[in-house]
Amino acid sequence: MQLSGNDRFVARSEARAANSLPRRNPRRGQLRHTALALVLATGVAAAEDRAEVSTALFAEKRDGGKGGLVVVHPQATFGVDLGRFVTLDFAYAADAVSGATASIYQVDAVSAATKFSDLRNEGSFALGFKGKRSRLTFSGTLGTERDYLSRQVGGTASIDLPGRNTTVALAYRHSWDAVCNKDNGNAMPIEAKALLGTDSCAKKAAILSEDTPGMTRWEGLSIDTAQFTLTQNLSPTMNGQFAVYGQVLDGFQSNPYRRVRVGDNAPQEHIPSVRARWSVSARINRYLPKLKGAVHFDARFYDDTWGVLGGNVELAYSQYIGRPLLVRFYARAYQQTAATFFKDAFYYETESTAGEYFTGDRELSPVRNVLAGAKLNLINVGEERPVWGIFDKLQLTLRGEVMLIDLLAADSLETNSGGIDTQFIYGNSLVDAVTLQLGLLGNY
Amino acid sequence: MKRFVLLLVVLATTGACGRNAVRASEKEFLADQIMVFDDDPHQASTDDHVRSNREGAAGGQGAGGGGCGCN
Repeated sequence: MQLSGNDRFVARSEARAANSLPRRNPRRGQLRHTALALVLATGVAAAEDRAEVSTALFAEKRDGGKGGLVVVHPQATFGVDLGRFVTLDFAYAADAVSGATASIYQVDAVSAATKFSDLRNEGSFALGFKGKRSRLTFSGTLGTERDYLSRQVGGTASIDLPGRNTTVALAYRHSWDAVCNKDNGNAMPIEAKALLGTDSCAKKAAILSEDTPGMTRWEGLSIDTAQFTLTQNLSPTMNGQFAVYGQVLDGFQSNPYRRVRVGDNAPQEHIPSVRARWSVSARINRYLPKLKGAVHFDARFYDDTWGVLGGNVELAYSQYIGRPLLVRFYARAYQQTAATFFKDAFYYETESTAGEYFTGDRELSPVRNVLAGAKLNLINVGEERPVWGIFDKLQLTLRGEVMLIDLLAADSLETNSGGIDTQFIYGNSLVDAVTLQLGLLGNY
Repeated sequence: MKRFVLLLVVLATTGACGRNAVRASEKEFLADQIMVFDDDPHQASTDDHVRSNREGAAGGQGAGGGGCGCN
């Protein structure tokens, strides 16, 4: 479920629709706000076509001799202006996942490492229409992998209020997803078997699900997402953003591969089929003219009907070094509570389920993490002629980030003779995960 | 909690309406690349990807774009 990624794609596409700046203004549609254009008084509304490619590498260590997980995430976007009022964007992203074992839940982890790999492909488009102060964007996304299909449509509308210091945006998306599952017939949840990597998940025409009776069947998942965003100029050097986000998921949400030990059984995990989620977030940017830098603050609160409460804060600093170099340092802290039906593995095994549900999902466990990272942008803008080939501007991005994860106890540790240290096969290292990203953006 | 959120919404909305306007000629810094929320969609996508597999609260971070409003 990569809703968020598509959110960004739509946001960027919508921002492109808002753009009508001359060619060599700063990168990305969002940024082509015409204050600078007004200052320059060019009055030109030329096309701002763009192409961007990047690749991210994510590596997570797994303790207990279980090796690690590596995800390579290439992305490519291509956007064109179709006249003054219409924009069209295409995007492609993939995930190539490999590791010693797909499982992180100790109960479910294989005792001997077995190599696995998976490939996910996703394509998106966005069609944008822009007015004098308003933008309207329609988008569609199609994602496919061995055991998951995602089909999504959405729209975003935004308007600059009089004075052009306030932007209000409203977005809605609906997704029809399908998850490959073991065909357990009418078995009770406590008897349900988990999907195996060797089970066939048949598809028609690569994007349509097809059941294999007696072996696998595709389960439906409907996702509705809405978001309201208010962006405000607070002063000539400060702006802020306030966002409210809501989402309802209805359908199969378990990990079909994951098993949970309940007494003497190890059935497939079983969680509720409906989940309503919401969050509020606030962000502030403050420009520091004397330093040619800016500080950034971000805070967010989250709640859902499964009992997960979460929040994060992020602090960042951006600094220009000379003309072509921009560096950004950032740090973030996150913490969440457990879902009401999450139990530490020891208690599922010795006490049984929490109501009718049982899960080994670390996203539903009490957990916190911190991360720190740095990003380097090398910006090359051509003055009189293209920088390279047809490109008026090129921007090279290099980013590195480390994450530290700390697993917390959901239940009493005093009576948990099994402890929680081995509940998940991660979390006991100094650095648990590393992300590296290399990207190239070109405007022409 | 609902009252707190409602208060936040009211403050944000009324605060936005009641502020002295930033004139177009004063928006040079607001138009800078580093003042734009989510100025790097590929990074945002990667971050979402990493976090949605490690955090139960992932999603809905906000929308891109700055408040410059000076198209």
